[in-house]
Amino acid sequence: MIEAYFIHLLILIGIYLILAISLQISMGFTGMLNLGHIAFFAIGAYTSALLTLNGFPFWFAFLSAGILAMIFGYILSLPIKKLKGDYLALATMGFSFVIYAILLNWTELTRGSLGIPGISKPSLLGFNFSSNFTFLILTFIICVICYFLIRRITHSPFGKVLESIRDDELASKTLGKNTSKAKSLSLMISAFFAGLAGSLYAHYITYIDPSSFTIMALIPVLCIVIIGGLASLRGTFIATIIIVLLPEPLRFIGFPSSIIGPMRQIIYALLLIIILLYKPKGIYGKVEIE
Amino acid sequence: MSLFNQLLINGIIAGAIYALVASGFSLIYNACKFIHFAHGAVVAFSAYIAYYFFSTLNINFGFSVLFALIFACLLGWAMNHFVYKKFRERKASNSILLIASFGLLILIESLILILFGADVKTINYIEVAKGIEIFGAIITPLQILIVVSSAVIFIGLFLFMKKTKLGKAMRAVSNNKDVAEIVGINSETIYSWSFIIGSLIAGIAGILIGLEQNLEPTMGTSLIIKGFTAAIIGGIGNVYGAIIGALLLGLAENFGIWYLPSGYKDAIAFIILFIFLLFKPKGLFGTKREGDKE
Amino acid sequence: MLKIQNLSKNFGGIKAVNNCSFEIGNGKITALIGPNGSGKSTIFNLISGVLKADSGRVLFDGKDITNLSVDKISNIGISRIFQKSRLFNNLTIKENILLAFDNEDEKFWKSLFGLNNHTNEKEEKIKEMLKFVKMNEHERKYARNLSFGQKRLVEIVRAIINPHKLLMLDEPVAGVTPLLRKELSEVLLKLKEKGETIFIIEHDMNFVLNIADEVVVMDEGRIIAQGKPQQIKKNKKVLEAYLGD
Repeated sequence: MIEAYFIHLLILIGIYLILAISLQISMGFTGMLNLGHIAFFAIGAYTSALLTLNGFPFWFAFLSAGILAMIFGYILSLPIKKLKGDYLALATMGFSFVIYAILLNWTELTRGSLGIPGISKPSLLGFNFSSNFTFLILTFIICVICYFLIRRITHSPFGKVLESIRDDELASKTLGKNTSKAKSLSLMISAFFAGLAGSLYAHYITYIDPSSFTIMALIPVLCIVIIGGLASLRGTFIATIIIVLLPEPLRFIGFPSSIIGPMRQIIYALLLIIILLYKPKGIYGKVEIE
Repeated sequence: MSLFNQLLINGIIAGAIYALVASGFSLIYNACKFIHFAHGAVVAFSAYIAYYFFSTLNINFGFSVLFALIFACLLGWAMNHFVYKKFRERKASNSILLIASFGLLILIESLILILFGADVKTINYIEVAKGIEIFGAIITPLQILIVVSSAVIFIGLFLFMKKTKLGKAMRAVSNNKDVAEIVGINSETIYSWSFIIGSLIAGIAGILIGLEQNLEPTMGTSLIIKGFTAAIIGGIGNVYGAIIGALLLGLAENFGIWYLPSGYKDAIAFIILFIFLLFKPKGLFGTKREGDKE
Repeated sequence: MLKIQNLSKNFGGIKAVNNCSFEIGNGKITALIGPNGSGKSTIFNLISGVLKADSGRVLFDGKDITNLSVDKISNIGISRIFQKSRLFNNLTIKENILLAFDNEDEKFWKSLFGLNNHTNEKEEKIKEMLKFVKMNEHERKYARNLSFGQKRLVEIVRAIINPHKLLMLDEPVAGVTPLLRKELSEVLLKLKEKGETIFIIEHDMNFVLNIADEVVVMDEGRIIAQGKPQQIKKNKKVLEAYLGD
């Protein structure tokens, strides 16, 4: 029993980790106030769910989740090129709401608020990851690969271009960098990995509906990114563990489950405000939000 | 013909409500220069407080409304005093304030969820009255009340900003804070007042919405989105623009669902927001924002 | 090399740049001077693409570059620094300068596969340039930890390493210690010896008159005088502009 609980937590940590480090790419490294990240998570989840339910193999659904999310990342990047700061935040948030509205209302595709039940557990090369323990192994492997890839990208020369855009976009342009293109790529890559996280989520919970993908779902992810420290992948790792584990004691205090959900949100929201106030650079603080 | 008129009337009613939300939001934005998302939570919470006093505690409607409005002012003031002010002391950028405000919105909405539950509620003060017919469209007395009280509030706001000392001081701070401080205006006082007045208007909005429509915990989020969409349509920096923007938004939504399935109503606001942010970020009547140029 | 023709820019009724025309010659140091608010930085911004001109043209080596984007103008060969320090604060000095060499780093796939890593050549060049301005010990420091004067030096190095035919410096020595000022003027003269073309905005008249070959004077958006430093020194209009009538 206890084992199952820990396995569950570890899986959640894995999924949130991918979601958070992918947000680091567009937010922490490129400096874009990307409040639309959950939309890509949602697109990934629904894509993967629908594809597997229609007979496609898991690996295809998984990669398609990332690719489709990436395409939407590109689509979003086009109109927001000239936006900065709070207008960018509003526009990306608006994108999140549009996607949510589509998921809720395009019932022929998504079954709206009824959601999509019965999503299969993943199976690769004939092996079925049906138990939570094997799913954890899968999550762990995918996590490691994503972490490695993102680390490579962000610490590469391309990553430095992204950081230069965050620190001073005009100066970056003055050095000849096509910052619009770089920002576009940044959002696309961010979206890609968020989409992968979405796929994992869908195949773990085996039921998805629009309510998991509202703007509220962004708060824990935002918390992780800020507490860990912008542009710090190590910090994000530690912060993910903290954020996933922190509200768990609520279960044991005996609150009814209808209360636990909003209580978690309250904890996250408070944490976010307190960290922004007293330690805005987070644990491994290097960068402050401009 | 009368369908058109009905949509028109519905659009004006919705517009009036959004305008109440947008004008308070705009007032606060003008003075403090950041996006106060949590404004939506003030609208929502005041509605719930009115509901609690009236429907649960069975207190006289008039007093319930009074308490709710006082509560709204206090909540707005408290958010400024205990949260935003501290950020300003640390010279936080307005992006940080925006994120903090987002946090506050979620915090308060979650609190509402816990205190009142997720089920939909209504303030049953005015009986579901029969609507009267005007120009082929049906409008209920409550809806007329909404439109009329909004108009009264906006006129009041206009007079306040133009004629009173506080109103002029608020305009001065919104125009140029540094110069206003040189002539002796305390900007922190002005910030407090803009939150109090803005939140008061939000409280009125909340109660009217509670009477006319339903209360549910996430109503704050969708209202503030309509609110800042209206403010951006009208031109951020212009309270009256926000009011006009809200009217246009209300009309667009109601005529929009003539064509689209009604579930997409909220999406109309987001799409309009998007379009304006991309093509006309200064809105229809907007003044220049500080720090717009590279 | 650079020709400005009838360039104009209005800001809501104020003519910040009013029908300006002048030329920057190859291999020379040209200074743009004038009282505060005369439009000097605006001219720089118009040339480098930060602002869009209302009318007029900018020609670079014969090509019309008016209203091109900032990055295109940089890649065509104009390198500049700003009045305000614009280093990448959360990157090291070395990383700041590495970004200037070329645009290979923009290539995402090459980065993913590790194909555009920095060469030893670049590292050597950075060491050499930093030594040139006596900043070599600070290579690994984060830009935000430098003093203002040190930041200026790094910015100038970064602008020099950015491949260019024209170097535009907006107030390179403003706010800098007299010692640094002297070092910088030596640096600029050495650059000129190497054949660099430099266009510089400065307030410090001594600094300007000592190193400039040509001087262009602005007042209230217009060019009021052009010529050699000695001529400008004696020009009545210039004196009036600075001192008032």
